[in-house]
Amino acid sequence: MLRRHTAVLVLAGLFAAAMLLSLFTHSTGVVHNDPARNIWIPPELTMPVKLQVAYNDQRIFFHYRWPAREPHVFTDLLRYSHGKWQRQLRTPVGSDPDGIYEDRLAMMVDDGSVPEFQRYGGYITVGANMRDFTGSGPDAAHRRKYLPATRRDPNDWYSIVDKATLDAQRRAGYFLDLWHWRAHLSNPLGRSDDQHIAWYRLYDSGEPLFVSNWDADGGQPRWMFDPDRAGVRALRWEDVSGGHGDIKGPYYLAAAAAVPFDAAHEWREGDVIPGQVLREPSGSRDEIRVQGQGRWADGYWDVTLVRALDTGHPLEDKVLRDQGVYTIALSVHRDARASRWHYVSLPLQLGLGRQAELMATRFNGDTPDWNRVDARELTLFYPGQVSWKHLSSARHAGSKYIAKGVPVKYRHKETQLAQYGVEIEFDREIRRQWALSLIAGVLLVASFVFSVSLLLGHRED
Amino acid sequence: MGPYHAIMVHFPVALWMVASGIVIFRGLSDGPLARALDRVLLTFLAIGVATGVVSYALGLLVWPPDTLQTTPLGRNHMIAASWSLCCWAAVLFLRWRVGERVWEGFVNRLIMVGLGVLGASQLAATGTLGGHLHGAPAYLSELLRPFGWDVYQTFYLPTWVLVVLAVVIVAMPALAIVATRGRAVRLERQEAGP
Repeated sequence: MLRRHTAVLVLAGLFAAAMLLSLFTHSTGVVHNDPARNIWIPPELTMPVKLQVAYNDQRIFFHYRWPAREPHVFTDLLRYSHGKWQRQLRTPVGSDPDGIYEDRLAMMVDDGSVPEFQRYGGYITVGANMRDFTGSGPDAAHRRKYLPATRRDPNDWYSIVDKATLDAQRRAGYFLDLWHWRAHLSNPLGRSDDQHIAWYRLYDSGEPLFVSNWDADGGQPRWMFDPDRAGVRALRWEDVSGGHGDIKGPYYLAAAAAVPFDAAHEWREGDVIPGQVLREPSGSRDEIRVQGQGRWADGYWDVTLVRALDTGHPLEDKVLRDQGVYTIALSVHRDARASRWHYVSLPLQLGLGRQAELMATRFNGDTPDWNRVDARELTLFYPGQVSWKHLSSARHAGSKYIAKGVPVKYRHKETQLAQYGVEIEFDREIRRQWALSLIAGVLLVASFVFSVSLLLGHRED
Repeated sequence: MGPYHAIMVHFPVALWMVASGIVIFRGLSDGPLARALDRVLLTFLAIGVATGVVSYALGLLVWPPDTLQTTPLGRNHMIAASWSLCCWAAVLFLRWRVGERVWEGFVNRLIMVGLGVLGASQLAATGTLGGHLHGAPAYLSELLRPFGWDVYQTFYLPTWVLVVLAVVIVAMPALAIVATRGRAVRLERQEAGP
């Protein structure tokens, strides 16, 4: 028969074991990749980006350096498979299994005309039910970034204000400049794409950097590599998939080096031709250049973008001036991820000769000496499915602070926001599990103490 | 209700912290001071639990339930507060029901000290999380990290652990009842004689 003393020891052991088990297994068992719900959690929730900024009388230079295990320089491919050409254009949920999605770096810039951006960064551009959110539906592809005041109801993507109001907003500077460096679609020509965000994520005016190489009617490419110049008519699938450190071979199709597609050629299974043809842009689309080469080496991308302080396109590009303070926010796509599977930064104040979170260094001459330019290490984080609608709603405990204009950085750190971004994707499941855990903990303590009291007896026994 | 909650929590925090000190001291000492402090322990615990219940209720009114339960910090604050209250109510119950016998023997003392430390730890975590929620984060949260708890991550248990806990929750009183009845049978046999 079990002795009382032994029973108390067993109870204490059981209780302690249950506590330790809870401590070691907590916060597990719920978060998992679920492509059917557009959920894919990156293995690393944060990443660093080193940023240096310098400017002279005419131009501003941004030098970015960020880690990437391998470069991903292909996107939108046309592949010969099973006797016909097919377009390999898709937005993967998370990392593309074949590694076919280009690395990208984007930077939003504002001059103070979008005051919410100074405080909350890119969050303000993420409306409700955006594309690739869980449950956004099959018709969500066009629901992309916009600024809140471009809608009668900021949470209704379709309630766009009238054109006269949009035009007036634009003249008032209510847009975000968007620099968009792309490892395939801009870098080979030494350019960054140039966009802006207002009622939509819009391209700047001018001839684009790339045009489609897909002849939808003919079901084949329009152009191919010039075999006399490139040595090949097409690339091979096995050479382009999986990500490669060596990008010295042909990996993009430039208009100047392309020849019309030869349908009569005996194409082989696995032949691949880029789905976009690169060409010289023009107008406002041609304002951001890559200084030197944007290159990947030893696990890092090093990219320097340069632009005129004033491009002469004030309705699409933010004009930057000496002694001005501006707000920037970065994002990085790597590991063959697209759409919302990126890392973003909190807004950062950039001062051109004025005190700010990061001061751009003024220099004389044509190019800066980066060894003399202050560097800032930013932490970028996976933002999850956090929308401006959620943040400004009563469900967000900080909404009252947003209403008061308290900046996000006052209350949150990047690691914290990354964690919140993940948890909100499993909000229902985590909340249920949390409630059950709360009850289980209460019952465990109650059960233990009740049991011990039974064994020790009443004080009057 | 935030300010009232902040005012009210001072009472259970103060009373339970003192109570945890008394429990630990009494667990280590049979001296007259330890015994004297033990005599006020029940009062401290009772007032602590009463004010704790009021604080808990006020805390539930600071934000709407949906808001509180949507944020990981809110969830963690609530779970820690629930367990703190439960733990100290349990200590109160044990000390009241068993009386001074809780200080008899090493195992009994170990249980009391363990509950006191557990209650104090949960109380500290609750207070720290409350500070975070009100925009005054303390470095104490960094101390929790080596123990595997990131305060920005909701504390929840996987289903299989919940099942294990359910078994333990049922098994403990069952074990106690079996052991108690066994003792009663032995006493009856002793009284009946050979």
